[in-house]
Amino acid sequence: MIVVVKWQNVEKSEMDLIEKFAIFFFSSGAAVSSSSFLISLISHCVILQAEKVLLEMQDPCTGVKSQPQRLVITIIPHAITGEDIIAWLADRFQIDAQEARSFGSMLVALGYIYPLQDHKRLVIKPDASLYRFQTPYFWPTQQWPVEDTDYAIYLAKRNIRKKGILELHEQEQYNHLHKWMNHKWDFVVMQAKEQYRAAKERKKPDRVVFDCQERAYWVVHRPPPGTVSAMDYGLDRRTDPNTDETQTPDYYERIMIFTQQSIMRPRVKSSVSIGALVKYSATYSGHDPFLSKCLPSNPWLTDDTTYWTLNMSNVEIPTKMRVERWTFSFKELLSDPRGRDDFRLFLKKEFSGENLAFWEGCEDLKWGTAVAMREKAEQIYKTFLARGAPRWINIDGKTMEITVKGLKHPHRYVLDAAQTHIYMLMKKDSYGRYLKSPVFKETLKKAICPEEHKFNEVQLEQNARNRRPSLSPIIIRQQEQEQRAKMAANAPVDITQLCRFTTPVPHLAVYTGIPDPPSVTASPSLPFLAHTPVCPSPISVALDSTSASERRMEASDGEGNTEVRAPEGGNLSKSRMALSLRRLLKRGCSPSTMFASLSPKCHTAATTSSRIQPITPDEASQAPPRRIGNFFQIKVDIPPECRIYPIESEDEDEENRPASRDAVGTEEIICPWESLTRQNGTG
Amino acid sequence: MPLVNNKVGDDCTASGDKALADGKALVDSLIKVVACYRHLASCVGGCTDSLQLRDELRQTREKAQNLAGDICHHLTSHLRDKSLPDGQRKEMELLWVAFSSCLELLHVDMCKVLNISGIVSLADSASLVHTGLEGGCSDVAARALSLPDLNQAQTDSLPSGLESQERSTMELEISQIDRMIDDMEMKVNVLRWMVEPHGPQYADPLSSTDSVSMAVQSIDEEQQAPTSQPLCQRSHIFVLLLLVGVFFVAATLSLCIFFFS
Repeated sequence: MIVVVKWQNVEKSEMDLIEKFAIFFFSSGAAVSSSSFLISLISHCVILQAEKVLLEMQDPCTGVKSQPQRLVITIIPHAITGEDIIAWLADRFQIDAQEARSFGSMLVALGYIYPLQDHKRLVIKPDASLYRFQTPYFWPTQQWPVEDTDYAIYLAKRNIRKKGILELHEQEQYNHLHKWMNHKWDFVVMQAKEQYRAAKERKKPDRVVFDCQERAYWVVHRPPPGTVSAMDYGLDRRTDPNTDETQTPDYYERIMIFTQQSIMRPRVKSSVSIGALVKYSATYSGHDPFLSKCLPSNPWLTDDTTYWTLNMSNVEIPTKMRVERWTFSFKELLSDPRGRDDFRLFLKKEFSGENLAFWEGCEDLKWGTAVAMREKAEQIYKTFLARGAPRWINIDGKTMEITVKGLKHPHRYVLDAAQTHIYMLMKKDSYGRYLKSPVFKETLKKAICPEEHKFNEVQLEQNARNRRPSLSPIIIRQQEQEQRAKMAANAPVDITQLCRFTTPVPHLAVYTGIPDPPSVTASPSLPFLAHTPVCPSPISVALDSTSASERRMEASDGEGNTEVRAPEGGNLSKSRMALSLRRLLKRGCSPSTMFASLSPKCHTAATTSSRIQPITPDEASQAPPRRIGNFFQIKVDIPPECRIYPIESEDEDEENRPASRDAVGTEEIICPWESLTRQNGTG
Repeated sequence: MPLVNNKVGDDCTASGDKALADGKALVDSLIKVVACYRHLASCVGGCTDSLQLRDELRQTREKAQNLAGDICHHLTSHLRDKSLPDGQRKEMELLWVAFSSCLELLHVDMCKVLNISGIVSLADSASLVHTGLEGGCSDVAARALSLPDLNQAQTDSLPSGLESQERSTMELEISQIDRMIDDMEMKVNVLRWMVEPHGPQYADPLSSTDSVSMAVQSIDEEQQAPTSQPLCQRSHIFVLLLLVGVFFVAATLSLCIFFFS
């Protein structure tokens, strides 16, 4: 059990409670069975109690028995052994040896006792290793924070004594302090010299003792990097909870505001809220590393990082616990990167990946930098929301209206309504199917359940010694960005001309001169016609093309070219489309362009995600958009209904394919939008 | 010191130089006193804590405060003098920064001593922490007060009201120092980031005769593995030889100094 006391938002009354608890714990050591104990924060009351304990401990009669430490020529008294400390603590507080050991380690970590051998490791060893009490001057206190000036003086002193004795991190600190405390540096050096000379006035054993004390003090307060320090207490509070607050009018005003707000707060029936709490606790109790086991082992306890490596975000095979978490709620699934990947895979198979892509785009917009916001909003609109967009998502008319209106003056939360709609859609619809899908079942089957580690003492020490820092977050962020870029570039493109769209840069906005997005959607209600006068044949044609394109896509996966599509403005009639399609097929144009030419019609059938995209030929009045930006991460989303129809012409396509594959990159189709205009002209 | 090329200003610079030298000497001695005070303060609450120590602390404190007062007057008067040439002003500002840092250190030390004397009372000698110190710090105090020797009358009994009296005087003194720091900031505006120090980044090693404690400390660190018994013995012998050698060197050096001075 680990007891972690955090003081961040503790009110005074609660603090009294916690103080009482701490006092109770220290003085009685009652039935708390634990394997390790750590108060990750020093508070005033902890300090008080620790001081009391220490004063008792050092009592010559009733305290820990001391022995002299024999160095080469000097004998220094008042050294105590680790086992004696543990025995005394166990005796005094009536606790078992393990507990006493943890308690002793805490005292050492806080700096009240310091080890004489192996001075960098602040633990109590239950053997004959020696410790000594720290002088009260060097006891930890929160009233006077540890000054960097003192640290600089200490380092300078050590350097005076012997040049080059500073360790690497100390050297770095010294240089850093020299840089920002430069104005005081003469003083620092002079003070170091004077302290050194004053120390020489003392007797030799006292000098040694003082040096040990000072060194121990700085090991506690400036630990080497990578060590866990008991001094880490998080953020400083704005006010000291121990001081009594003066009853000024301000104080009463605050109380009044607080009570007014408490009255105005919306209330929930306790049965409901408690029920929710109970349900939450029941669901998550097996996954809580405090309340139940953490497989294979808790890294904070055993210093073994297997748990973290097994649960990284880009891991191939997740753990069973992790997969189980995904079943708790949709939010869990989305918030876990691995879960999201799995869900994305499932959606790809279901051809409704644009929902998730849209949601992620909205998240990106919300959390991204303000500079890129406008561009991102444009991008998302062009990709997902515009009429005839390549990855058009289906949201209701009102939401679309609001969103489009908001896009006139884009801000961070302009897509919030649409995002919520899509989120609820995914949650109510796709999530359920995902949990029953073969993708999920496969993942669940493959998930591993690691064995629990059983380390003995020696191994634990070994682990502690082998602690290494993990990958820098900068590197992890770079890897994530690379992965995202790779994903964006994953879709195949048969772009033959080298244009600026060949490099997949998902966030690069290339505004290609389209009239303002809001004006394009002259009639936003149009896309939502429930019925389209589209004959099945375009669908079958589309089917051919899409199936071919899908196969071709899969075949040419990872080519890394961008796919550029220009959506057809619905100007092509069926025949024209078929004509152009065959022509394009023969010429081996990009499957995406074909699909692009058909995309609005492709999504006609009521798909599972209930996408309806009738773009009627009435819109011939609308000038065909020459291009609508660049579409980089287009994975062709083919409605599943297309697959229902028998695909006769597939064989033809297969024959065509090798020929056309060679033809990829050849001269016929230069850029999809240009081909579009040509078709418009000719068709 | 930059050369001032006007004959009119010669007297000014001369007196300015003298003032600077005075200020430097005062600040140096304050630094020394503060260093010694820190050593004394580190013994408070330990097993060597005694009335004598408290007395030494008090005396050191007084000396520090007198010095601080002198420096304060000296520096404020000079820094408020608008006609001070630039070079001297820079030097004065350096001294000012050193002085304020000294005061801050002294302030913290005094507060700590006050705090400790609240936790660990002299009256209850069993509660004095056994820190391993044995000797007193009278040599350090002597150095602080610049006296060759410190003759202390041993008072055996602890007068009853001494502790509380001491606390109140300490609190007064602390508040005095506080006020001095505040006054300083009010009166003189020194831009700390403009001050450039002269000295090197690394302090030069002062002497090599401290290898005794170095050797002792290095043994301290060698005592890690209890199983390396023969190694310990070997290192013992090695260190003994080293110490003997060092003793000889020290003896010859002192003889040389004795003969040549």
